[in-house]
Amino acid sequence: MSAASFLVAASLLVAVALDSPTAAAPAAAPATGPAPPHFDTEIVPVLTRAGCNAGACHGAAKGRGGFRLSLLGGDAAADYAAIVQEREGRRINLAWPEASLVLAKPTGLLDHGGDVPLDADGAGAKRLVDWIAAGAPRGPPRRLTQFEVNPPAAVVLHAGATLPLRAIARFDNGPAQDVTAWTVITAADPSALAIDASSHRATVLRRGQHTAIARFLDRVVPLSVTLPLADEPVDHASQPRAGFVDDEILATLTTLRLPVSPPADDRAFFRRVWLDLAGRLPPLNELATFLADPASDKRARAIDRLLASDAFVEYWTLRLGRLLRAASLPGDATGVEIYRRWLADQIAGGVSFDEVARQLLTATGDSHRVGPANFVRTATDARDHAELVGHVFLGSRIQCANCHNHPLDRWTQDDYHGLAAVFARLERGRVVTVAARGAVTNLRTAEPAVPRIPGNRDLDPNADNRAAFAAWLTAAENPYFARATVNRLWQALFGRGLVEPADDLRATNPATHPELLDRLAADFVASGFDLRHTLRQLANSETYRRSATALPANAVDDRFYSRAYARPVEPEVAADMIADVTGVADQFAQQPPGTRAVALFDPHAPAPALDVLGRCSRVSSCDGGTAVGGLPAKLHLLNGELVNGKIAAADGRLHRLVDAGASDEAIIAEFYVRALVRGPSEAERKFWQDAAAAAVAQPDEAATRARAQFLEDFVWSLLNSREFRMNR
Amino acid sequence: MTFMNGASHRCDGVTRRDMLRAGGLAALGFGLFDRLGARAALAGQGGASARGFGTAKSCILLWLDGGPSHLETFDPKPAAPSEVRGPFAPIATSVPGVQICELLPKTAGLAHEIAIIRSMTSPLGEHGIANAYLLTGYKPSPVLEYPSYGAVVAHVRDGPRVLPPYVAIPEFRATAGAGFLGAAARPFATGGDPAKADFRVRDLDFYPGTGAARVERRRAFLSQLDRFQQSVEGSPPVADPEFEQAYRLVTSPKAKQAFDLSDEEAKVRARYGPRTLGQSCLLARRLVERGVPFVNVVNNGWDTHEQLVLRLRDGYSGAQVGVGLIPTFDLAFAALVGDLKERGLLDETLVIAMGEFGRTPKLNTNGGRDHWPRVFSVVLAGGGVRGGQVIGASDRDGEGPHERPVTPADLATTIYTLLGVDPDRELHTADGRPVPVNQGGKLIQELLV
Repeated sequence: MSAASFLVAASLLVAVALDSPTAAAPAAAPATGPAPPHFDTEIVPVLTRAGCNAGACHGAAKGRGGFRLSLLGGDAAADYAAIVQEREGRRINLAWPEASLVLAKPTGLLDHGGDVPLDADGAGAKRLVDWIAAGAPRGPPRRLTQFEVNPPAAVVLHAGATLPLRAIARFDNGPAQDVTAWTVITAADPSALAIDASSHRATVLRRGQHTAIARFLDRVVPLSVTLPLADEPVDHASQPRAGFVDDEILATLTTLRLPVSPPADDRAFFRRVWLDLAGRLPPLNELATFLADPASDKRARAIDRLLASDAFVEYWTLRLGRLLRAASLPGDATGVEIYRRWLADQIAGGVSFDEVARQLLTATGDSHRVGPANFVRTATDARDHAELVGHVFLGSRIQCANCHNHPLDRWTQDDYHGLAAVFARLERGRVVTVAARGAVTNLRTAEPAVPRIPGNRDLDPNADNRAAFAAWLTAAENPYFARATVNRLWQALFGRGLVEPADDLRATNPATHPELLDRLAADFVASGFDLRHTLRQLANSETYRRSATALPANAVDDRFYSRAYARPVEPEVAADMIADVTGVADQFAQQPPGTRAVALFDPHAPAPALDVLGRCSRVSSCDGGTAVGGLPAKLHLLNGELVNGKIAAADGRLHRLVDAGASDEAIIAEFYVRALVRGPSEAERKFWQDAAAAAVAQPDEAATRARAQFLEDFVWSLLNSREFRMNR
Repeated sequence: MTFMNGASHRCDGVTRRDMLRAGGLAALGFGLFDRLGARAALAGQGGASARGFGTAKSCILLWLDGGPSHLETFDPKPAAPSEVRGPFAPIATSVPGVQICELLPKTAGLAHEIAIIRSMTSPLGEHGIANAYLLTGYKPSPVLEYPSYGAVVAHVRDGPRVLPPYVAIPEFRATAGAGFLGAAARPFATGGDPAKADFRVRDLDFYPGTGAARVERRRAFLSQLDRFQQSVEGSPPVADPEFEQAYRLVTSPKAKQAFDLSDEEAKVRARYGPRTLGQSCLLARRLVERGVPFVNVVNNGWDTHEQLVLRLRDGYSGAQVGVGLIPTFDLAFAALVGDLKERGLLDETLVIAMGEFGRTPKLNTNGGRDHWPRVFSVVLAGGGVRGGQVIGASDRDGEGPHERPVTPADLATTIYTLLGVDPDRELHTADGRPVPVNQGGKLIQELLV
């Protein structure tokens, strides 16, 4: 600490001890000389840059140490009041700006619980001093109209390369200003991309496509820096392409210098497309027909047949129900069944998804007769309703904006409570009605929230605004609905979303392929929001048809689609697969015989097999994520009834084959094709042959039993194998 | 993250270096939580703060489901009007001046080993949300399922073990589950009734017709199949630690023996009492003896809206010797604490007995008591707890805390601290959101040795 600083600190202590107000209401800025720093657009960024208004410090909902700032400077008016007016203006000292608490604490002159985030000799401190010296004015209204970071996307060719980043802002559409020094740039993975806070340079530390986000005032923009994964370029010019999906994917792979795996063979493709579109393994007759078909368009025709099948409707009803968090309510199993039938009808009838959304958003009536009215009942109250709508239709976690403006997204508290207000008048009993009144409190204002289309406009507080919201949501130009939907369809077919997590679409969580997401969304809109159209589009791409087998040079790829990614099948599908392969159907309580697990739309329907395999409880929506595994599940698979009972069943497939006198080789081949949609390899054939011989090295009737036991153990290991449980 | 006095703290207790290390979104202040409360508490003198965190190796939680009456157990009100006092009288305990209900004579004899908190207070009076609060230390949220104590302990204690790290006997409340920590932290429920002669743990015995040799062969086949697959996929082998644990458990006679109560001498079994709660406690003792870090024993039936005498004391009408909830608890709890003490395990085993709330001070017209979260009692023993003390007090009629109110979050922070788990430690939800083990709880300093 310098001698001068000591002096300042000492005199300040005197001032504090005397407990005399050191600042009256600030005077207006001097009329002459350079304009003083502007509070909203030049002082707030200093506080953000220093971390003062972070959620862990004064930006916390209750502030810190009696001093509260709006989170990341979202509310400049409140911050101005907190700094200049609260505590009788004691936080600033107009007579001696350097001694102001707002400077003395963060620069370490006075004890500060939060370290020394501001350099006393730095530009930030200087700005604060200048501002206070000028009378700490709020300044005239001034609006940020443009913010960008250059370069938004860059490719570098060796590790350790650095590139300068420059942040440009325009206020009130005025001239471009360099605001790099006041912009916070944060890498998503600092071990891959280092951002030096003082020199504003990004250093690429390893290969891959890395992202960072830049924040200035209320704007956040993403940027990406790529270091190709190989030294040598790859040429994808001659790769087959079925449309823009392949164009976009191959363009990124070319930049990254990733080679592609060859196309999957017919069997692997057929297993994958059946699991993805029909939620089940292909029956043997379908497989035989497909394999025997010499036509070059047989994959496209297989996709069309599946999209037109009942199995597609059954499986995608489950998938959509999961997304919508459909579940029975205590003591009411009827509503969810009506909901299921309605949803199945929409899918079977090819009703466009915008129409489905409009019905879900505007339905009223008896939930035992009107399917989509059950969507209202899923939400416990208006805020929950808004969050569900955000999750399902906006692909967005708007709930973060309940207590404070979303720190990483554009949503404000007014947006959140405004959207909740749209649904505040709904009565959520068995008969869903719109009441004459009903409001939610905006936590920011402590007043009834004004109904609002988030990020867009306020609505009439006296109207039922659901139709207006639905019309905005499903308009062709809406930036959320189509993107959120196609991202989930992509996730269903490729194992991960272009944006992950699929309910967290925002500028600061960029897609791996932003242009592809835009094009898919536009194509989905142009098709009339036709789910089957987009699924067909994706399944017919060369990208979807790639093998899951990695090449040495693309084994590291887990998001650029140079190969297919193996992913676990869902619990409902796994239960049906086990039943189909063993030839022993599950009998679920209270369900007609023959009911498949994927038809159990209600997650509360009793189904011990699904509990063991770990189904989604739908307390919150499970976007593909399910609670698979756990020790109890593994113990059950080892010793429990689910698999063992089906293998040992006298009328099950295995014992019927044994009783019919089938050979080991025939039995093994049949289980392979049913479970894995392929025959055993030469090495596998040999392995099982030897294992069978070792198991049956006993005479007579003991041998018969030993053989049956060997075959049971074979089927058990097949049903528990990684290959069986994966869709690849 | 570690705390260092004198190092450069940020206001949230995170040093600058930690901040850099945490990187990413942390720099935006997203997801850092208030640590001040716990840090301030740890800065107190002696006890856990001197050692950092507690050293209890295991915890046995006796969950008295439904909400036991504080007035009929650990907080009698003999001077209150009769409609408050209830049907039972207090008795003296081994600690001078401390009285508990006459239905707890064995526990009274061990009062010097236990600490009674009489000033627990919570705003939640409905079973589901109240037991979520007491079992996780968090008020329940519609958007996030918090993990229970046992799940957190299972999650943070690492290293492969043959026995599961979190066992529930015989079942567990959904709120005692893994929450956002996922399946790996879920309790292993034994199922069945430990008091029955044919008690067997679910899925621990081989499926009929199979056996150790066949399970061994199945494992060999399975690993061979996965190897074939990996050679085709070109991917490195993927281990399945949960399968391996299940395999080790079912093929280890020693591990299975831990669950075998017939291994105990008859007089030991008798000491715990013949009923489910007693035998569950005995099983819990066998498990912690073998290193299981968290056991949740669940005892149902404490939601006594009517007939206190029948439900709490007699057990059935016309009983000569009471076999109701409290005598059964007294036998089991005193046996557990005494047995652990005699075996030298009490110092390293934290025993907690509690439910989700207390009961209304005024008897209702059915001779019962209804839900009452404003004040209730919790008892703890062993594991670094200073016995022979009463913490806090309820007011004259047991309606509210008279002094030193303790919230479920305070209790949670204390339990975690005793078990050596840093309450500030960050857990992560499936989508990466950081959530501290405990939030807003203050350490009950005087509880600690």
